[in-house]
Amino acid sequence: MTNLITIFLSMALINNFILVRFLGLCPFFGVSKKLSNALSMGVAVTLVMFIATVATWIINRYILMPFEVEYMDIVIYILVIASLVQIVEMAIKRTNLTLYNALGIYLPLITTNCAVLGITLINATEAYSLLESIACSLGGGIGFTLVLIMMSGIREKLELADSPRSMKGLPVALLTAMLLGLTFLGFGGMI
Amino acid sequence: MTTVLVLTGIGFACAAIIYCVNIVLPHKVQGLEKTEEIANTLPGMNCGACGYPGCFAYAQALAKSPDLISQSPCAVVLQDAERLERLEKALGVSIDASEMSKRALIHCNGNSEIVCDYSGIKTCKAAVQLLKGYRKCPYACLGLGDCLEVCPQSAISIDEEKKVAVVDVEKCTGCGLCVAECPQKLIELVPEGTKIAFLCSYKPLRDIPGREKCDFGCTHCRKCYKACEDEAVVWKKEEAIPEFDIEKCTLCHKCIDECPNNTLASFTRVKAAV
Repeated sequence: MTNLITIFLSMALINNFILVRFLGLCPFFGVSKKLSNALSMGVAVTLVMFIATVATWIINRYILMPFEVEYMDIVIYILVIASLVQIVEMAIKRTNLTLYNALGIYLPLITTNCAVLGITLINATEAYSLLESIACSLGGGIGFTLVLIMMSGIREKLELADSPRSMKGLPVALLTAMLLGLTFLGFGGMI
Repeated sequence: MTTVLVLTGIGFACAAIIYCVNIVLPHKVQGLEKTEEIANTLPGMNCGACGYPGCFAYAQALAKSPDLISQSPCAVVLQDAERLERLEKALGVSIDASEMSKRALIHCNGNSEIVCDYSGIKTCKAAVQLLKGYRKCPYACLGLGDCLEVCPQSAISIDEEKKVAVVDVEKCTGCGLCVAECPQKLIELVPEGTKIAFLCSYKPLRDIPGREKCDFGCTHCRKCYKACEDEAVVWKKEEAIPEFDIEKCTLCHKCIDECPNNTLASFTRVKAAV
């Protein structure tokens, strides 16, 4: 149990996907202008990460390992994740329209997000068990959402701030990201 | 060999699962029948020209308020009589396509003198950041093709001789994506039936306007206005540019012949140039 919590916290804070591993940077700047959008994106990413982790773990353990074709993992994972997202999107669209509208364009968008592929590859290289993989994916997803929400909150306020003309928009967002990254470095000695 | 088998196997398995899920899930969703019907008439290429994130979101908005079609119509549907008919049926309103159908027109004749070497990033947006571009006329088409990148129909091309972007009116659907893209604001959506194209955007009245900026721009000489026998050319005093009345124009092309700088052209010239 302690092991699971360690993995979860490590993925959420210490090895945060965006600020420490530099994965999923496009949504970090692309979708962090509004808090509501950031939340939808974060939830969608966490959901897809969780599903992708479970599916790829099963495939890795019962197909790739017995046939000794682990080196094909990237290709196979992309294939599996893409079809999974397709299925999830179809299911949500036809059963819960409110949720579908809330997730909107983000669900199909993250099919090829590097954070999603990243978490499956991390799980494979660390040789986690199923429970550990799930803890890892949830931690990664929640850490991703957390940073996205923090960033969008700051950026919403920054829109109103009187920043120099040359710094408006992306430049000041990049500086904010740097400061956020520095604060997350502080978690380094926690575990 | 196992690699190939495993990869193909997983591929086929995924396809099979998607197919099964598609069959198992309920096809008709409560309250979504109309949206689905509308979405089926839309082109489904998610170009975003209507202002909605994708065709399905547009269909949802249309299902809620069918009147929306007059404000932000789908340009692709307007071109296609068969799709239009189906959309009319789905929405329950009649759509006058000829009223709404537009074409993009780039208001520049090209060949404005190049005053400095530009070796920066090859996009119009970047070039405009430096002293409004590298051409003499601050309203000139730079010809770096930002508009051609966004065109979903690939209707825009660069005339290499004149270094100006031209729109193929046959391919253009008038979606308007390029209008927002042009940093010089040269592109305008004009009615589909436009007959005369005015190829200059230099509006300020100073000295001998236009002439000192570009040899191919409007000199505000009013020759076209005087030449027209059908009173189809209206002279707009404030902006000092001619306006062409589609209804009255008989396509005699006298104004085009009279124009000393060839700033006027037949609207369909673009097709011939490409």
